[in-house]
Amino acid sequence: MTKVGRRITDYWDEEHMKRNYEEINSRIKKGDAVVLTAEEIIDVVQSQGVKKAAKEVDVVTTGTFGAMCSSGAFLNFGHAEPPIKMQRVWLNDVPAYAGLAAVDAYIGATEVRENGEINYGGGQVIEELIAGRPVKLRATAYGTDCYPRKGIESYVSLKTINQAYLFNPRNIYQNYAVATNSSDRTLFTYMGKLLPNYGNATFSSAGQLSPLLNDPTLRTIGIGTRIFLGGAQGYVAWEGTQYRTDVPVENGVPTGACRALAVIGDMKKMSADYVRGLYFHKYGTSLGVGIGVPIPILDDELMRSVSISDDKILAPLFDYSVESRARKPLTKITYAQLRSGSIKLHGKCVKTSSLSSYRKAKDIAEKLKRWIEEGEFLLTQPVATFTESQTFKPLDLRSQEEV
Amino acid sequence: MLQRKYLLTFTSDIVNEPITYKIVKSFDLLVNILRADVGDRGGRLLISVEGSGQQIEKAVQYLVNAKVQVKELNEYVNKSDERCTDCGMCLSICPVDAFEIDRISWKISFNAEKCIACGMCVDACPPQAIKISDL
Ligand code: SF4
Ligand code: SF4
Repeated sequence: MTKVGRRITDYWDEEHMKRNYEEINSRIKKGDAVVLTAEEIIDVVQSQGVKKAAKEVDVVTTGTFGAMCSSGAFLNFGHAEPPIKMQRVWLNDVPAYAGLAAVDAYIGATEVRENGEINYGGGQVIEELIAGRPVKLRATAYGTDCYPRKGIESYVSLKTINQAYLFNPRNIYQNYAVATNSSDRTLFTYMGKLLPNYGNATFSSAGQLSPLLNDPTLRTIGIGTRIFLGGAQGYVAWEGTQYRTDVPVENGVPTGACRALAVIGDMKKMSADYVRGLYFHKYGTSLGVGIGVPIPILDDELMRSVSISDDKILAPLFDYSVESRARKPLTKITYAQLRSGSIKLHGKCVKTSSLSSYRKAKDIAEKLKRWIEEGEFLLTQPVATFTESQTFKPLDLRSQEEV
Repeated sequence: MLQRKYLLTFTSDIVNEPITYKIVKSFDLLVNILRADVGDRGGRLLISVEGSGQQIEKAVQYLVNAKVQVKELNEYVNKSDERCTDCGMCLSICPVDAFEIDRISWKISFNAEKCIACGMCVDACPPQAIKISDL
């Protein structure tokens, strides 16, 4: 905070009110970059205005830590003696997908054990690996002339295997739904335990700290963007699955699940503090992932967008007892209200719970800020940005002719 | 005045004894029944009692003499701070607000004194940080 106003930025293009990536990175390398978190910037913009803040601050860091079901890891085990072309693979009895080359596999966060123990799955296996613990590998095969072996049982860890990287097809959704339950029984959902008769409401976004709400049209975030992923440096790989842009916008940000990112990063450098196996009772497993994205302040417009605060970000409230993809939102609520601990619904006070950790989101934004201040993390201009307009298609029942 | 929590386990032959009535009447204690599971092979009763230390001790002695297994409960559930991610899911689940959030650090703390041992939070915590203590 105190850094703001300490010096006048000497490379700010006064005439065009701009700065570029090279300039920011050269300041980072010199240890001169002014970096604030997306929470700290709110007060600065409020007191000094967008223009002055834009002139003085180079980078704003964001963060989020939440359940991200569409996550998983690619692993390469190395070859056994005699070699095996693994057809089916289990890690701590959780099936992994092995329909790739001989000893490559992908373990998804929501895959669970086949014996009915749905509280242990891919998310837990990934956490164990990152925590450095041994994991039991079992594989079977039909055997070929070049890969004669038909089965193997062994223990592996991140030290014994070759590549191990998270490749998460859909993470850090730009905003999300708020869930409640009007029915007369408790519902166990991926939005957590929903008590009967509007007994509570749950939400899952870091709001004002959330990466994609701070650069809502993803001007500075695209393929190749370097990010904080699971405690290490990772990258944006692609647009997230279900990427969409057609969500109503209020105060400059979408008011529901909208854009998302596919991300990639080296598990060997990650920390279990930021990658956590989760279990949603009667639903299954998931992975808690911590992600932070730096937003370069290239111009006033970006400074305006990173100054968004929880009272301006709205999320739609859905009744999860309505079992239809076409359910309509009951109302829209700001994150300021959600974070206060309760909301008013039909004149009744309904307690709220966050599923994502604001404490960790803050911690990530602060850690990323330190990395940049200390010159350990340089910003990247995207290799390519994402499509400007895209809808999200439903799955309907069709005949071959209707496709 | 002291407040203590006890788990009482009794066999079927004493299920019909009016034990809670007795401890209220004879020892002048305030008794709050937090949970009761009674089946054909006996039952378990979780109570919170309030009163003087002496009277509580006497009541416990009475229960022991009546062949009730008495166990003092300090923490019905415990929260592993190492596993807890400070998400806050438990906040809206606990009926007595035993979980509290600090809006500066955004950390969640557990106040065992408030807990009435309903067990609702145990299956609500995504990283499985809340466990029922070994009784
Ligand atoms: S639900 Fe579990 S992880 Fe979340 S704050 Fe409560 S104890 Fe911590
Ligand atoms: S057991 Fe019940 S009362 Fe105790 S902390 Fe959990 S939800 Fe609250």
